[in-house]
Amino acid sequence: MDVSLIIKATLVLSGMGLVLGALLAVASNFFAVEIDPRVERILEVLPGLNCGACGYAGCEGAAEGIAKEEAPITACTAGGHEVTEQVAVILGKEVEAKGVPPKAQARCGGGRGKVALRYIYDGEVSCHMAQQVACGPLLCPYGCLGFGDCVEVCPLGAITIGEDHLPRIDWERCRGCGLCVETCLRNIIALVPETSQVDVFCSSPEKGKAVRSVCEVGCIACKSCEKVCEFDAIKVENNLAVIDYDKCTGCGKCVEKCPTKCLVAYPKKDTKS
Amino acid sequence: MGRYFLLFLAAFLINNILLIRFIALCPFFGVSSKVETSIGMSMAVIFVMAMATMVCWLVWNFLLIPLKLGEFLYIPAFILIIAALVQFVEIVIRKVSPALFRAMGIYLPLITTNCAVLAAATESVKPGFFKLNIQYGYAIPEALVYTLGVAVGFTLAIVMFAAIRERMEVAPIPGPLKGYPSAFIMAGLASLAFMGFAGLFGL
Repeated sequence: MDVSLIIKATLVLSGMGLVLGALLAVASNFFAVEIDPRVERILEVLPGLNCGACGYAGCEGAAEGIAKEEAPITACTAGGHEVTEQVAVILGKEVEAKGVPPKAQARCGGGRGKVALRYIYDGEVSCHMAQQVACGPLLCPYGCLGFGDCVEVCPLGAITIGEDHLPRIDWERCRGCGLCVETCLRNIIALVPETSQVDVFCSSPEKGKAVRSVCEVGCIACKSCEKVCEFDAIKVENNLAVIDYDKCTGCGKCVEKCPTKCLVAYPKKDTKS
Repeated sequence: MGRYFLLFLAAFLINNILLIRFIALCPFFGVSSKVETSIGMSMAVIFVMAMATMVCWLVWNFLLIPLKLGEFLYIPAFILIIAALVQFVEIVIRKVSPALFRAMGIYLPLITTNCAVLAAATESVKPGFFKLNIQYGYAIPEALVYTLGVAVGFTLAIVMFAAIRERMEVAPIPGPLKGYPSAFIMAGLASLAFMGFAGLFGL
């Protein structure tokens, strides 16, 4: 065994390592990019979901945008109020009055078995695909298709599709970013205040007869909720009951009265089906 | 000129690095789910491969061979060079062109440990290393043409594969075959198709 060869090899490799290391060290100094230190600190407080609800490609872009004041400090909807507060501290700004973070609510109660079907859809599991085939398998053109496009888009995994083909939104996880609202092609999902206690689980603006002919649990605009409400919190507009969440106390009288049971009261912060 | 063309063609189609030699399968399956990302990866590979081969060729011919260390030291030496070079390129790009950095940024660190780059560098100094041991060395223009052939072959294979995989996403495939299983089958079929190039121009 030639000892000098071993020594030579060791020297060459360590010499190369040394030269390349020195080169990298010089390069990183020479080509150093001045990064706004606030960007990194903002990035730390952002949730890091890269959901894109703010309009930037990811949290990194958002942090940069916020630091450059291209985006408001409230840009991160998924992070909610806590993140806004922390970002405000970093940038030395005042936070405006605290808003309650909204929660997503899927306003349709017409699960399988309750809504009439036009045909059985057996294709790609996607609402957008199903809609292409004769406007979807439901006879109700406003009802939830239940193929889970909202599930796909939710960065927090808060939405699941139940056995009745309706989305269930876990309010513990939902941060009200609104991606599902944009995605839902039937505009069923809405953002509601977290404090809301009663909701209308129907999105059909059709007249009562038309709704009843296709769905057991649709809002038929009978106005009995409007009459029974003592707080003037529920109104029928455009053939659909609309709740004023500021006025609603959650007494539940309208829920009892509702003939089709499309009004549902739910315990606070509970997932509702 | 004709020699360079044949060299390019041999590396590009006939010995396609992904589909014939099955080197660099990790990016082939890892970043081939979208055409967009596969193009980004390919551009980074073309760039890094060309640079790495040039540096490795110089180190081989002016350092390792004169010192008689080439035969056993080339792999650690080349890995060292490639890793340092990728880091260097990353630092420079970040400063010089933030837009390019954003487009290529995520793929550069991935390439640090990419076997395709090492294979191309090795073959440019030891031609035919992975098939038959020819006692022949490329001159630097030949090495460059050869490497570009390998890198463009990588691009062709991975972009084509990504396009097929995008279509397969929406195709009705039996459940157990969805995703990677069908991708592997497709890779096999594509490989068979590329075997048809063998013997082209007597290569």
